[in-house]
Amino acid sequence: MSLLAAASIGIGVMMLVAAVAALVVRKLISAIIIVAFVSLSASVLFLLMDAPDVAITEASIGAAISTVIFLWGRGKIGGEE
Amino acid sequence: MTAQSLFYWSLVVTAAGLVLIGLWGVLTRKNILRIALAFTLADTGVNLILVWSGFLPNRSAPIVDASVTSMVDPLPQALVLTSIVIGVAVAALFVVVGVLASRKSGSADVRRMKELRW
Amino acid sequence: MIRTYVGLIIVLALGAIVVSSLSNYSVPLELGSTGHNYTQRGVDDTGSVNLVTAVVVAYRGLDTLGEVVVLFSASTAVVLILTLIPMGANPTPSSSIVSFTAGVLPGAIVLFGIYIISHGHLSPGGGFPGGAVVASAFLLIMLGSNTIPGQSRLLASIESLAGLTFGLLGFWGMMTLGQFLNNKVLPVGSPGKLLSAGIIPLISLVIGAKVASELSGVFASYRKAGGEK
Repeated sequence: MSLLAAASIGIGVMMLVAAVAALVVRKLISAIIIVAFVSLSASVLFLLMDAPDVAITEASIGAAISTVIFLWGRGKIGGEE
Repeated sequence: MTAQSLFYWSLVVTAAGLVLIGLWGVLTRKNILRIALAFTLADTGVNLILVWSGFLPNRSAPIVDASVTSMVDPLPQALVLTSIVIGVAVAALFVVVGVLASRKSGSADVRRMKELRW
Repeated sequence: MIRTYVGLIIVLALGAIVVSSLSNYSVPLELGSTGHNYTQRGVDDTGSVNLVTAVVVAYRGLDTLGEVVVLFSASTAVVLILTLIPMGANPTPSSSIVSFTAGVLPGAIVLFGIYIISHGHLSPGGGFPGGAVVASAFLLIMLGSNTIPGQSRLLASIESLAGLTFGLLGFWGMMTLGQFLNNKVLPVGSPGKLLSAGIIPLISLVIGAKVASELSGVFASYRKAGGEK
């Protein structure tokens, strides 16, 4: 198994586990941070698929800006389920 | 299965899995903000599938250089570039409308929002 | 309870559709005709070394204009809702670490964003990621300041000026070369130089200003309505 295949399978498994965790974890703030992690891993996958432009965009928007948007919403709605 | 096709297929399995998990979350979660998070996950998965559809193994990124002979398809990447920015704007709108709905019904639970019940 | 099972059944059915549609899909060896054309003729047509920027700005420039309109309507809706419906702003003061960082870093972040925007036709980047980076610098300033921002005329004028310039650049091509958003109204120049590729750097700049000002407007209205419930 080449390094590339190992990296993509490892990142993919981590992303799927994290995505399920973001939906079932009890605290909303943990879910928001886990979704940011999934976005950051997705930007690594974009880089592996030879798409550096998309990787830059996903890293700056998915990991930074959308996290802040969801944190604002959590502050307004009032936290836990 | 060779290492290269293992790499190629693992990418689309991850992407399709993200879309399905996101859809499951949208259908079953109760907190409105959790639904918005699931929507974002599905969005990321769709973007991954689109970029994957233009991806060919053993080629280089679509930036022309003297040493580059073959490239991946630039068109899906260009579409996904705009799709990511639209996705964050729609997520911002989703969160604001969700905050409004939760203030109106007094709770973030979608089962309490008559307009959103299914 | 029944929601969980119905949702699971729907998702499993969709998963079966995905698997069956992928089962007779094999690894492609050549690009499709559109992608082949773009990779073969892109540099000669547009002068942009980065073909993704060439597609976004030159070949599919009209789509990008429509996309900017979608972004505009979404951010307008956010600002409108947060302005018309008072949310009870109660901003918590930021800590000294955040205030200090917000005083130091934004200059460097804006510089990096401008670099990404202006080198969009040479290296990975362009208007969309660069605008997002500039907007994140604005976000840091918002997080660090303890005052609630007032009505910002500057952001609104940058936003409308950028949209207007995009349309005017399009009409320039229509008037001189008979095609909306034609790239060759300015000389293509030698590919790889900063001042080349026709109007691609200008449109990248316009898109960057538009994305940055719209996301910043969303953040400013969030800050105005901000704080815990």
